Amino acid sequence: MDPKDQIISLLKEADLYQNQGLLNEAKERFKKATEIIKKSPDIKNGQALIASIVKKVVDLNQKINQINQATSKPTVSDNKQNLIKKLFAGGDEKGDFTSALEGAIALAKFGQFDRAMKEFEQLLDVEAVRVAAAKNIVRCHLETEALEEAALCFEKWAGDDRFSIPQLDKIRFFLEGRFRKLGFERELYQREETISDEDMETLEMESPPTETPQTSRDAVPSHEPAPVLEEMELPEEDEFLDINSVGIQLPSGPLKGRMVEFDVSFQTGNSINLIIASKESSLLNELSKGTKLTDMQFFSPIAILNGSGVVTAKTQIKSGPKEGDYSLDITILTT
Amino acid sequence: MATFNFKKREIECKIVYYGPGRCGKTTNLEYIFKTYKKQIAGEMVSIDTEGDRTLFFDFLPMGLGKIKGCDVKVQLYTVPGQVQYSSTRKLVLKEVDGLVFVADSLEVRREKNMLSLKDLHENLKSYGTSIFKVPLVMQYNKRDLEEEGIPLMSIERMDQDLNRQLKAPHFSASAIKGQGVPQTIMECLKRTLLNLQKQLKWAK
Repeated sequence: MDPKDQIISLLKEADLYQNQGLLNEAKERFKKATEIIKKSPDIKNGQALIASIVKKVVDLNQKINQINQATSKPTVSDNKQNLIKKLFAGGDEKGDFTSALEGAIALAKFGQFDRAMKEFEQLLDVEAVRVAAAKNIVRCHLETEALEEAALCFEKWAGDDRFSIPQLDKIRFFLEGRFRKLGFERELYQREETISDEDMETLEMESPPTETPQTSRDAVPSHEPAPVLEEMELPEEDEFLDINSVGIQLPSGPLKGRMVEFDVSFQTGNSINLIIASKESSLLNELSKGTKLTDMQFFSPIAILNGSGVVTAKTQIKSGPKEGDYSLDITILTT
Repeated sequence: MATFNFKKREIECKIVYYGPGRCGKTTNLEYIFKTYKKQIAGEMVSIDTEGDRTLFFDFLPMGLGKIKGCDVKVQLYTVPGQVQYSSTRKLVLKEVDGLVFVADSLEVRREKNMLSLKDLHENLKSYGTSIFKVPLVMQYNKRDLEEEGIPLMSIERMDQDLNRQLKAPHFSASAIKGQGVPQTIMECLKRTLLNLQKQLKWAK
């Protein structure tokens, strides 16, 4: 093709791509056109043409930078936030507090952290969802890389009478786990159970005769901090991460020790369901109801967790496209 | 997964327009919104950003009226096509009942089409479903640009690239002119409702 025609064609393409919002493609075409102009001394006003292309490329670069630098989850209007809650909170048939929690979670998933945190804060008054709400506040802080704020939040709750010691423990274990994963070292202050003089009197009145502690656990003096658990206690159903797939290290049989990956077909709280093809007999033989799976990996969109589980059901599918395959229910014990 | 209210005899399903950035997903919905006034059950909501790029999703609710004694409602969504909005795309895709994959016919977007289809496949897999199981229609968009002398891929080549294994019904389209848009949505609705009928037995 004649260089002049080539240049015309490239510039036309570049303009069209630019109008279509295909900025990198437009830039490429402008660059190619410039190269051809430079190699074609016969082109009239070549230098002026190059100057005009350079200006267009500068504009394109600016637009590309604007797009690249724009935050991927900016705060949207209240109406749009309401719509996000309505469409992505999974319905409101589950009861007021659970729906409210799911609504706030939906907001957080779409990066609407300020409003989500306000809504989670309100839910801290509700016993049934307090821990879930608190953990989600922590998650929001972690998502925005405000790690110190997450720690301060916990310390504020540690002095808040609404939280019981076991509830604080759950949040602390969760937060410490996240901090460890992020390599953030920060000690968390937590109040210890204190007993008032009044309580002591009651205790003295009601306490049974003193017995020698029977187990080493009983022998731990009450003023010592709670032992750090290796595995995080399971959160309530609502707080479970969505698990997309799992890795299971087979406990026995010819495939013993091998990590096998499965897609999760559905999940309800800490119970996940997998489908295993009937032809995978060596796998199926090792996975029966009651089989303990001590080495599992859980893959969620935001994290990979190690843990354990137990096979709670194994049934053969009787109809449909998966007829003959096996449906396996696994209850997650620890993550 | 669609919701079926047995008491009210009402079914609500979700159709998602998927595809690479700037391929014309929002344009499809805009055309449907303008053209099917009677069936539109509310405003079209777009959450877009710099340069009119979809940021979270577009949403368009439709009411198809009674089909086999059941009130059928459809929610149409688009996903953000830009690569960096991967987590949002996945959120929008959750519990999808039917899919339209909008592919860009421009030759320079060939690779982006394939990457987007792969992304769709992986996201569905992460929800425990398969691209082969969800009702899917392919739309090869921007065919009008051929008249302007812009290099486009042939339909055969696009079908070979994207649809060789899927063998989904495909339509040529120019969403900006509305060409192929009704055929695409009709086919997707037909397939989605048939699939739901099989699963939920609502038409019996």
